[in-house]
Amino acid sequence: MRFNSLAFRLFTTAAAWTLLVLPIAGFIIYGLYRDDVQASFDGQLQKLVNAITVDSMGVGQGAPSAPTNLYEPLFEVTHSGWYWQITPLDDKSAARLVSPSLATASLPSPAASGIAADATGARWMTAKGPKGEPLRLVEVIDTLGHEAHTPRYSIIVAGPQDWLDHLVANFRYRLTTALALAGIGLVAVTLFQVRFGLLPLRQIEGGLAAIRSGAATTLKGELPAEIEPLQSELNALIRSNQDIVDRARTQVGNLAHALKTPLAVITNEARGEKTGLGAKVAEQAQIMSESVKHYLDRARMAARVNVIGRVTPVAPVLGPLVRTLERIHQEKKVKIEVTCPPDARFQGERQDLEEMLGNLLDNACKWARRTVKLAVEVTPQTGRAPRRRLAITVADDGPGLTDEQRARIGRRGLRLDETKPGSGLGLSIVMDLAQSYRGSCELARGPEGGLAVHLDLPAV
Amino acid sequence: MRVLVVEDDKDLNRQLVSALADSGYAVDSAADGEQGYFLGDTEPYDVIILDIGLPKMDGISILEQWRRADRKMPVIILTARDRWSDKVAGMDAGADDYLAKPFHMEELLARVRAQVRRASGHAKAEIECGPLRLDTKSARVTCNGQQIKLTSHEYRLLAYLMHHNGRVVSRTELVEHLYEQDFDRDSNTIEVFIGRLRKKIPVDLIQTVRGLGYRLSEVPEQG
Repeated sequence: MRFNSLAFRLFTTAAAWTLLVLPIAGFIIYGLYRDDVQASFDGQLQKLVNAITVDSMGVGQGAPSAPTNLYEPLFEVTHSGWYWQITPLDDKSAARLVSPSLATASLPSPAASGIAADATGARWMTAKGPKGEPLRLVEVIDTLGHEAHTPRYSIIVAGPQDWLDHLVANFRYRLTTALALAGIGLVAVTLFQVRFGLLPLRQIEGGLAAIRSGAATTLKGELPAEIEPLQSELNALIRSNQDIVDRARTQVGNLAHALKTPLAVITNEARGEKTGLGAKVAEQAQIMSESVKHYLDRARMAARVNVIGRVTPVAPVLGPLVRTLERIHQEKKVKIEVTCPPDARFQGERQDLEEMLGNLLDNACKWARRTVKLAVEVTPQTGRAPRRRLAITVADDGPGLTDEQRARIGRRGLRLDETKPGSGLGLSIVMDLAQSYRGSCELARGPEGGLAVHLDLPAV
Repeated sequence: MRVLVVEDDKDLNRQLVSALADSGYAVDSAADGEQGYFLGDTEPYDVIILDIGLPKMDGISILEQWRRADRKMPVIILTARDRWSDKVAGMDAGADDYLAKPFHMEELLARVRAQVRRASGHAKAEIECGPLRLDTKSARVTCNGQQIKLTSHEYRLLAYLMHHNGRVVSRTELVEHLYEQDFDRDSNTIEVFIGRLRKKIPVDLIQTVRGLGYRLSEVPEQG
């Protein structure tokens, strides 16, 4: 997951929220539980203190008596944590009654510690027991038979607080475990949700890659309502892009037709005129027609910049071209030998590939003695070259060029031999086209001494 | 040799017709697709020069219809559209050659000569028949190295016979291939021209095949 991505944003906010909310919830649940457990423990103590009060503070007795009921067996076990104690408050000489568990020790009094009574008259406190263990105490002050103006007694019942603490700690452990598991689960679900929710974007990404590579012409697939408009807009954009290119190309073609016929007329007329003026007009018309060709070629090229998603299989282009060229040069009986893997695909316009190969093959046929060799290779993806490339070589067995001539042609696309028209311009348009596809066109000496042109183009 | 020019631009049409006529061809011309198609379909031309962008009917359809009707005459396509896809489309429709505008008239004439030669099975620009030698490039005929001065009609007749030497050529065929469409076709004129040619050529190579026509043969006629 990248730092700057929708998935990262969605995931981090959801995870942060989960991590914030779960501890707070845990804290609240823990507090509620602890209070609840405490209240129920306190209720038990209250019941005990009430029962002992009623039992031992009966009417008509001179002094409190030990409760007849045991209530809690642990009152009998020494230092069990369960204690009761009845202490006279007014009559200091009266005896103090305690549970057997308390032995010789005594319990601290909440009333003596200055704790106020609650609505039922009970006073609550947490203190240390005989062994130093934490105790929960409740004290009730009452008189015998609950009558006024008689000596008061303090009745205290204590229970072990650590039993309570143990219960709460146990609950806390289980709660934490459960919440942690819930947290992990939630984060995992969030991750899944983000992935699943953003799946259509992945789909778009794949679709765009397919368009770029030419496997598709439109963004296909059923997309969710939110991004469906994006899909249709994108498809419209691709279509209009294509339309603009096609229209530009048609108009350039029309312009070509409109200009070239009058130029042909002027040229022929002027060449028939054996005067200075005729020669001048013929010369200028020639310059004009070359300029027209030059700039029309470039206009076509400019119209094509950044057209996405055009892929041209190479082999189907070669067949008709070779047929046409062999027919054009049938006088010379030039044989064009082609080697091309069936899966070679050029990443670009068919017309451009035709233009490059047509010009190169035509040139080669003009100069060749017997054969022209056309070899297409696909170089695989490597670390150094991240994309597949087409390596095309057109070699003839003609006279070839000297190193110096090659360098000059390579530089300017010059025409070396006026008797074979078009050779220079043809080569220069090939170079420009190759460059517009971020490829290259290089001249070399062929294996049979003729010219070999190496064309490097993007493949799919 | 009879040539048809189908081109809608008046000036270019005129230039083509006069350049071809100057080179010794009998030339017909059409300014639109329908007329061009009709002429090519009905008249026996040796070469047709066909523009692609034509009113009423485009060049490619015309060519396809001719080829479908099994008309095999050589066709040179003439067009401003010089992309290779256009050339491939033209050649696949059945064209024999392709010339992009603007072009040099010399280039066009050379292509026309090449097509005429190819159609009659001659590989070189010079056609020989015994002591006779026809240089199609300069439109000159020599006999044993001596140039023979010919009028344009005489040249057309001799050139046609030389292109088809060894074969009997009927008078009708000669009339059809030597004269423009609106020429007064009187086959007697052929006899007149044959007679003149026989006088100009030192050795009599033109044989009369009774009832059939004429034949140019390397072996002089006996008796």
